[in-house]
Amino acid sequence: MTTDAAADQTDGSPEFDTSVAHVARVYNYWLGGTDNFAADRAAAEQAMAAYPDIAASARSNRALLRRAVGHLAGEAGIRQFLDIGTGIPSANNTHEVAQAVAPDARIVYVDNDPVVLAHARTLLKSSQDGATDYLDADLRTADQILAGAAETLDFSQPVAIMLMAILQHISDEDDPYAIVGRLLSAVPAGSYLALSHPARDIEPEKMAAMAERLNQMMAEKVTFRAEGEVARFFDGLELLEPGLVNAPNWRPGSAEEARRPAALWVGVARKP
Amino acid sequence: MDLVQQPLGDAADLTHQEIASGPTVLRMMLGSQLRALREAAGISPDEAGYEIRGSRSKISRLEHGRVGFKERDVSDLLTLYGVTDERQRSHMLLLAQQANSQGWWAKYDDILPDWFETYVGLEQATSLIRTYELQFVPGLFQTEAYARAVTLLGHRSAPAEEIERRVSLRLKRQELLAGPGPRVWAVIDESALRRPLGGRDIMRAQLRHLLEVGLLPHVTLQVMPFDRGGHSAAGGSFSLLRFAEADLPDIVYIEQLTGALYLGKPEEVDHYREVMNNLSTEAETPADSERLLKKIIRAT
Repeated sequence: MTTDAAADQTDGSPEFDTSVAHVARVYNYWLGGTDNFAADRAAAEQAMAAYPDIAASARSNRALLRRAVGHLAGEAGIRQFLDIGTGIPSANNTHEVAQAVAPDARIVYVDNDPVVLAHARTLLKSSQDGATDYLDADLRTADQILAGAAETLDFSQPVAIMLMAILQHISDEDDPYAIVGRLLSAVPAGSYLALSHPARDIEPEKMAAMAERLNQMMAEKVTFRAEGEVARFFDGLELLEPGLVNAPNWRPGSAEEARRPAALWVGVARKP
Repeated sequence: MDLVQQPLGDAADLTHQEIASGPTVLRMMLGSQLRALREAAGISPDEAGYEIRGSRSKISRLEHGRVGFKERDVSDLLTLYGVTDERQRSHMLLLAQQANSQGWWAKYDDILPDWFETYVGLEQATSLIRTYELQFVPGLFQTEAYARAVTLLGHRSAPAEEIERRVSLRLKRQELLAGPGPRVWAVIDESALRRPLGGRDIMRAQLRHLLEVGLLPHVTLQVMPFDRGGHSAAGGSFSLLRFAEADLPDIVYIEQLTGALYLGKPEEVDHYREVMNNLSTEAETPADSERLLKKIIRAT
């Protein structure tokens, strides 16, 4: 190998740091996955010590994603999904649920972590009739996401924007409301926003203790929000029944799903 | 798999997953359960070994799933560990019984060294195989002719019949790809694709076969081009196996000329997972890999 090639390689290789906990891998641990490292497991355990139901809450979020996408691809007839904050693939990923209902559904996954994207490209293969694409972008750069997604999605047709347990990583200084507003401005009437957000006002003491520990151990900080703050994301939209609720109460598929503890505000809304 | 058809008592049914896992993984599962029970009971390996007329190393082999189980041993250990619940006891005895049965690969005993038999057994029970290959096209993706060329490299003086049995074992393993088996995620070094094993025609056919395999829904191919990946790959080829059973840890498999390493300690697995993640992010994306593969085919 020449010196130049070696230099190129160092510049071009998306190294990642396993000594600091990473949100996608912490989440993977809560879901029972093995794509995590010692620092991730330590942070995940610390969080569980503060809020023992966090693993159940993470599973609630996955179950909710399945129900929400099932509804959107089914009754609502949506064929295009923009899933921002993909995370390490788990069971019932957006395209699997959507394409099971509508094989021609088109899904763009967005994440800002190279390892997540490598997993996503591999484990989230599309059906033959539909399409999946993967963007390496940060939610703070909504315009970049929209430009990239336009290669796969037709923004003159309805799109479901999925922001599942991701906005807690956007601090108030980065104005999450402006980001969601920018995304919604790019999609036509009849589009949807599906959003889940860790709650500051459900199990408040435990959630506060968990946030503090995560913020000590994770590179990406978290801001949990209260019901009213999460409701603002839906300003100008029509919330579907049952409105903004804790994840297990959003159209639970079984008594077991309804009982599973969680601290996540959830809503699915239509753009009029 | 044959095991599925065996009738099971209803008192302590094995889960479908346990049955489909095959004997190698059942041994590991049973072993790790026995270790957990022993530790919970505060009993040393020496004491446990004595109970079953053996030594501490016999307990170690059992707990690591390296050997089969005698039902009497399992029963005595359960008693020693204070497990009296009949359901739990009969479930574990049933596991021991199943773990002693033979996999389909047992009939290749004559050509299958122990170290590789373990791999074939594990492979059957995976939910995800991630593999990095520097030298050859991964075994699961080889054409018959290419597999024969690779086999001949290693066994030049073997009789033709033995070569054919080795090739046939390799092809038999590929039945995993017909589904609903594991996802296979391979990073293949460009050199493995440029080296014309068996000659240009065989290699061209092999590369075309790779293109087809890459289209399977549960297979992903990434090519590591010559100009990348040097430092991550310093350790050579390896595989990372993940199992459908949630309580089994991931395992790193490293093949050597006359044996293999199976690494299962969390810090070792973490290290290889980190390298594998680096390789996957450095390699061409699956879409670009397909383009590169087509380019290599044209040049072959």
